[in-house]
This record gives sequence, C-alpha cells and structure tokens, in this order.
Amino acid sequence: MASTSRGEGLSLPRVTCPNHPEACLVEDYRAGDMICPECGLVVGDRVIDVGSEWRTFSNEKALKDPSRVGDAQNPLLNGGDLTTMISKGTGAASFDEFGNSKYQNRRTMSSSDRAMLNAFKEISTMADRINLPRNIVDRTNNLFKQVYEQKSLKGRANDAIASACLYIACRQEGVPRTFKEICAVSRISKKEIGRCFKLILKALETSVDLITTGDFMSRFCSNLGLPKQVQMAATYIARKAVEMDLVPGRSPISVAAAAIYMASQASAEKKTQKEIGDIAGVADVTIRQSYRLIYPRAAELFPPDFKFDTPVEKLPQL
Amino acid sequence: MDETALERYFDDSIANDSGFSLGEGWMMRFLKARGGAKAGGGGGPGSELPPGRDWPRPRPRPSSTDHDDLTRALPVATEAEEESQGAESNTSFCPMTPMTPMTPMTPVTERSGITPQLQNIVSTVNLGCPLDLKFIALQARNAEYNPKRFAAVIMRIREPRTTALIFSSGKMVCTGAKSEEQSRLAARKYARVVQKLGFSARFMDFKIQNMVASCDVCFPIRLEGLVLTHQQFCSYEPELFPGLIYRMVKPRIVLLIFVSGKVVLTGAKERAEIYEAFENIYPILRGFRKH
Repeated sequence: MASTSRGEGLSLPRVTCPNHPEACLVEDYRAGDMICPECGLVVGDRVIDVGSEWRTFSNEKALKDPSRVGDAQNPLLNGGDLTTMISKGTGAASFDEFGNSKYQNRRTMSSSDRAMLNAFKEISTMADRINLPRNIVDRTNNLFKQVYEQKSLKGRANDAIASACLYIACRQEGVPRTFKEICAVSRISKKEIGRCFKLILKALETSVDLITTGDFMSRFCSNLGLPKQVQMAATYIARKAVEMDLVPGRSPISVAAAAIYMASQASAEKKTQKEIGDIAGVADVTIRQSYRLIYPRAAELFPPDFKFDTPVEKLPQL
Repeated sequence: MDETALERYFDDSIANDSGFSLGEGWMMRFLKARGGAKAGGGGGPGSELPPGRDWPRPRPRPSSTDHDDLTRALPVATEAEEESQGAESNTSFCPMTPMTPMTPMTPVTERSGITPQLQNIVSTVNLGCPLDLKFIALQARNAEYNPKRFAAVIMRIREPRTTALIFSSGKMVCTGAKSEEQSRLAARKYARVVQKLGFSARFMDFKIQNMVASCDVCFPIRLEGLVLTHQQFCSYEPELFPGLIYRMVKPRIVLLIFVSGKVVLTGAKERAEIYEAFENIYPILRGFRKH
C-alpha cells in the first residue's frame, strides 16, 4: 500500500487530526484517505484522485485520446476561465444531409482574452523558431499580460508588443537577443519593435541592463562552428577592446563581430567578414570599420595563452 | 496689426544686416538678470555682435512671450560693459531649479561657460482665412504642392532660410529658422506672400512650438555610467541609436548625448529652458568624463 506525503512546507489543509494538530497528514491516494501518521486516524476520506484515469502509452496508435481531461490550465495568465464548448463531432451522425456539421457555432470562449490567447500562441511560435527555453516564454507571457492589462499601448499591434516583450524577456533573463534576431522570427519591423520596447519599459517602469559583447559570443561562435578556444579568445578581445576604449560609440554587436573576425583569422578556422556579418546581423563594412579600430593594438588584445595559427603580424589589414 | 507697421517692420529688418538676431548677447543679459557671473569665454563660438547695437523699440505685439518682457525690463548692456567684468564669482548665483526628487541633483559649481547654439525653430501661425492651395502653388515662386503626397503647400524663402507648410485652413508651420526673431520674421514674410496673392491673411497666434539646440562639452563621455546612475531618465540602446536619450523632467527637455561630447537639446518652447537644461546636465556630464 503505497502512500505519498504531500505539502510538507506549505500551509496545511483545513483538516487536521484532532489529537495531533501539528502532524502532517499522509495521503493515501489508492484508498482516497488522509491519515494521521502519529495515531493512524483516518481524518479525511473520499479524497478525489487527481491522477489519470487509465494509462496511455505514447507509441500506441490511439486515434482518439481516451483522456477526458483537457489541457493544463494556466490560471495565472488566462484569468481562470472555466467555460467549456462543444467540439466538432467525430461520427457520421454529426453531419446533416449537405455535409455540414450539425453543431456549427463555436461560440467565442472569452472574447476579451481572445487577443491575449492569440498573442500567447504567437509568442510561443516565435520562441520556438529560435529555440528559447520555457522560462523565457513564461516571462514573455507575463510581461505581455501586464502590458495588455495596463492598456497604455492599446493602439499598437499585438504582434509588435509580443515581439518587444520577447526581446525584454530575453534581456531580463540575461541572454539578450539582438533586435535583428527577434525581427527574423517576427513579422514586425525593427523600428516598430524598438518603439514598442521603449514604450513598454516606460509603461511597466522597469529597466534592462546594458548589453555587453560577451552576451553574444557563445551564440555567434557556435553558429559559425568555431572551437571553444577561438570563442574564448574573441570574448577576451572584445572585452579588452571595450576596456581600452578603442571603439567608443560602436554598438557592442559590431565590436563582438570584429573580435570574432580577429580571433578566427588568427586561428586555423578562418571566417570571412561576410559570414560573420550574416550570423551577427551586421554589415561587413561595419565589421571592417570596427576591425580597423582594434587592429593597431591587436597584439595586446589577444589572451596570453592563445595559440596563434597566423601570427599577429600576418593578420589581414583592411 | 496695421499695414504700415508691418511694412516698417519688414523694411527695418530686411534692410539691416542679415545676422540680425535676438541671439548672442542674450545669454549675458539673462545671466545678469539672475545676478550670476559672466559666462566665461564670451557668448559662444563665432559670435559677432554688432557693437553697441540698440534694441528696436518694443512693438505692440499681439502675443508677448516671456523673453520679450525680459528684454524690455533689462537695460541694454553694451559689449564693453560686459567684457569689463572680471573673474567669475559664484557667491550671488542662485540655483535655478528647485530641489525636487525629479530634478537631477546639480552641485552648485561655476557655470559651464558653454552656450548651446540654436539650430532649428518650429513655429506655427494662423493666417486666419481659408486658402486656395492650388492657386498659391501656381502663382507663388518656390512653392511645391503635391496633394496626393501631402495636403499642404511647401514654400521656401532664402532670407532667413526657412521652409513653410501652408495648409488650406489658413494655418501655417514655419521651420528652419535659427532664432526666435528670424522665425517670426520668416513667418511674416510668408504671410506677406500669401497676402500679396490676394488672400486676406492676418498674423494671429504666432507661437514657437519647438526649439532645437546643440553644443559640445569638449570631452568624451561615459554613456554606460550615465545610464546606470540616471536610469529613470536615460535610455541608451546602442542597437537602436548611438546616442543616449536623456529625458529631463524639470525643464521638460530631451537631450541626446553622444560619446564624443556633443549634446543636442530639443523640445523647448523657450530659449531659457534650453539654457537651464544644459546647465543642469553639464555637472552630471562632467562627472562621467572619460579619462
């Protein structure tokens, strides 16, 4: 008779054992009882089992899902909507003589939150395209909900707000994505996302940390297929370049791209400016400009333990 | 405003030198009125004030702006008098901004000695009668009208180099002037052009809507430091714009601050707001100087 215990640290349910009020009740889900571990008294009974009705296996070709329970609701986001609707019929009897389904009208579940649900779907799609983890998607959803409820950005396209929320969520989680990367998975222009971004920060009265060159190194380098050594060298170069103030006023993305270029050109895996520009979303002339700024002090920028395939003197001079 | 006065005004201002402006001596007089010290280094680079220029007689203007009152109240100071003042003294300087939490805290130090230069003034005026834009576009020189693209006539004059948008309701927007007086003069010239074309144009509700100024603090600035400390006012997104956007609350001015030390101030309705905003930001920028 297996038993599980639940809720040790949380607030206890209303029932307690009359003899041992502090005792945590042990739940026996098979029998549907709550038992006091001290004296064995059955305190609550007929507890509803929230497990699944029957076992389903993933490799069974089940045409119909026997589970009669719907999706896990997300009450935080949807406002605890409990409406149900009649789904489309499956058998032959649900169609009338012309082939139209008998019960046609799926009444809108929650018209006020329909836009929000659409936006969540859109956010999920966008995040899926760039393989963002669940925590970022959740954070984005929360941000969107806050912005939507505030109604201060009501006139803006929901997709634009969703894209901007995604951008902010990535920043807040410490893994910023460039605006261009968000543009690539969204139908909204960079300008509009930028505008919405600033508006949302003002509306929610939050701020985000400034982007640094190191935030993008691992992503760009792995997309280019560069080994870890080169990635570490590029990170070091970019950080030193910013510390030595060789690139005042340049966007950190451009500096990162130039650093990757320098590191890759000094190693065995040489990448062209065009390839780096494609991955980073930076024009190759921009990389050239930033590279020209860091080139004169190249020798000081490399990490001390770097293995040069091409020595510093032979680095391309553009 | 009657015809003869209008004519006289045009003749006065057009006939005299083209560098006529309210501009360069203004800062000194403004500071004098506040009891402050003379701004070091003169009234900004490249100022060639005609010596001992008399201020024109105050005209019966329909709308009087703040700076008009101020000039009438002040005695006209001559160049010589101002130059003769000695070293700066901050004993009589009173801080211009109240110490509210929203104001950036400025330590009372000596003046920056830099005067922002006005670059653009946008003003509006109501000519008071509906206009036939097609007629204006056909008859007037230097006018373009493309109703499919924009519903206004775009007219340009060379003298204060300005552009005006003239709408069919009779309202007009005048942009491109470098000083308040030039903006007003240019607006009057446009009104004159419209009047000569046969419309009963008047000159009502002239108002300066926006003033843009720029200056250089002459040292590089650490924008990252500035955005860390003044987070609630600053927005710095290198991906979106290379400059830091500082939205000052007390004079409601937006400043664009660049790494090179150049500063652009915009959103002012009065010249004094620009100067106040710059005096507020200067000590902050000094604190974030790159070494």
